Amino acid sequence: MANIESQKATFIEHLARRMTWPRFFFWLGMTVFWTTIIFPFYWMVSSSFKTGAEIAGRTPAFVPGTLRWNAYQQLFNENWDRFHDFGTNVTNSILVAIPTAIIAVILSMLGAYAIARLKFRGKELMLNSVLLIYLFPGILLIIPLFAMLAQISRWIGLFDIQDNLAVLVFTYLATTLPVALYMLANYFRTIPDEIEQAALIDGCTRLGVIWRITMPLSVPALVSVGIYTFMIAWNELLYALVFLNDRTMFTMPIKIMAIFNDPSPQMEVVMAASVVMSLPVMLLFLVLERYLAEGLSAGGVKG
Amino acid sequence: MTTTTQTSTPLFKRMMSNSMGAREARLAWILILPTIVIVLGLVLFPAIFSIWISFRDVGLNNLDSVFSAPFKGFGNYTAVFNDFAFKYNSITNMGAALTSIVYSFSGTILTVVVGLLAALLLNQPFRARGLSRAIFLFPYVAPIVSVAYVWRWMLDPKPSGVINYLSIQLNLIDRPIPFLAKVGWALLLVIIFEGWRYFPFAMLMILARLQAVDKTLYEAAKVDGANALQRFWNITLPELRFVIGAIFLLRLIWTFNKFDDIFLLTGGGFGTKVLPVLTYEFSFRLFDFGKGAATSMILLVILVVFLVFYARFVMRDVE
Repeated sequence: MANIESQKATFIEHLARRMTWPRFFFWLGMTVFWTTIIFPFYWMVSSSFKTGAEIAGRTPAFVPGTLRWNAYQQLFNENWDRFHDFGTNVTNSILVAIPTAIIAVILSMLGAYAIARLKFRGKELMLNSVLLIYLFPGILLIIPLFAMLAQISRWIGLFDIQDNLAVLVFTYLATTLPVALYMLANYFRTIPDEIEQAALIDGCTRLGVIWRITMPLSVPALVSVGIYTFMIAWNELLYALVFLNDRTMFTMPIKIMAIFNDPSPQMEVVMAASVVMSLPVMLLFLVLERYLAEGLSAGGVKG
Repeated sequence: MTTTTQTSTPLFKRMMSNSMGAREARLAWILILPTIVIVLGLVLFPAIFSIWISFRDVGLNNLDSVFSAPFKGFGNYTAVFNDFAFKYNSITNMGAALTSIVYSFSGTILTVVVGLLAALLLNQPFRARGLSRAIFLFPYVAPIVSVAYVWRWMLDPKPSGVINYLSIQLNLIDRPIPFLAKVGWALLLVIIFEGWRYFPFAMLMILARLQAVDKTLYEAAKVDGANALQRFWNITLPELRFVIGAIFLLRLIWTFNKFDDIFLLTGGGFGTKVLPVLTYEFSFRLFDFGKGAATSMILLVILVVFLVFYARFVMRDVE
């Protein structure tokens, strides 16, 4: 016992000797940052495992009693009640986010190649307007888009603008393409074009060059642009809120809103839904953090 | 034959000619065309159309024939300017225009300051640096809906609301406060949320700049006997000046445009109604699209002022 006490004492002495003021402030700052960042995420995950009684208790339950999956079961139960069939909403989000990401990557790759490698008039003007669009408020576009698409659908009559996931994909493309174009054009400029020139001389066409040389060389950039556009579409709230009315067509963000705004909200279910929605993007991010961080500072995620 | 090509327009000639440069330009336009069509059709045209709508009387009843909506002159604008939710009334009820400005300026300042602190911490060599950097980015990459609702749940005034519970335990307050449903507190908390969620953006950009600072400057200053604070003040800050200026305006613009955060945290109630939320309410709660468009145009005008400032002072200096 005494041994442990003396060990403790030497440890504190050791700590005191090593601890200078700058070090103290450094670790203090680190602790504050880590706690304030991690705690909300811990609270989200732990709340999703709590019981209704723990959620509504007289004191907050810091650790859920047991690891119960009730909230998740409720969330995905098709017959639970009128809206907890979250699986459909996950599917809707995937149906919106993946096509957005793929189309955005393909189109912006072609456009960015043109901007980075080919000479044509109006290039500078185009790049500058892309930057301007980047700073444009989404709220300003939603009214005219809504009115415009309502008008077009009345004229053509082939599609409905309400509850149409394809319409959402198009609006997301409009907001993500400028950013994707800008990021990729910047990346392509960093690739030396000698190989391309050699391939052109050997008789390869421009499209062949893009397919065989530029694309393989820029896989990291293409992946990060894909993930950004995916994340933007995955997280988007406003357009989905305006364009979707039917609960079975809801993407995850507005479905979570609906669950939260229920007259008797079940916080554990809201938190479980939040976990389900956050997990894929957080995992993607952690796995690919190394090159994603670079793109982030280039303004990958607007907002 | 030669005469006809000479009389045709230069652009047409260029497009039709088969020289290397012309073929290249043609290919460039083909490659970029899909992007341009989508962006023009779904961003540029709507933006201009929005100006048109703001002068018309557009409601749900004539949304299907919006192009023949009756002209209203500046009617929508005067309606917005006179709206109780827009104009300044008192310090506890600032109206959307002023709330927007207060919110975006304080939020941005907080974001930049916290981002600077985080970047300075992460610029030190220590073992968990890579991990810390990844973790510090969490608030920024997590979906807004989930983080906003966790905050709402943590700030809940119920006995199980954790922030209220801890504050009472620490004797900071003596009874639960409905933080997001109380004038004053609500605005303060959406500003703090802004700092919490967006500091990683500032952190990353500042960190990148910090790592590019010439290390010999610090050594020289050390030799000259400058202490840590002096080194920070006389070397680090001047080196960071431009990047901080750029982040500040970029974030200011984005915060000014921001709809989701406040909409999810307070629904725009309790003195947090900003212009984007007001635009949404006019358009999709009251279905007065003309008035909504007018509000968004007012937002745009303020934004353009920011942009001009941005272009004149920041873009020029950064180069």
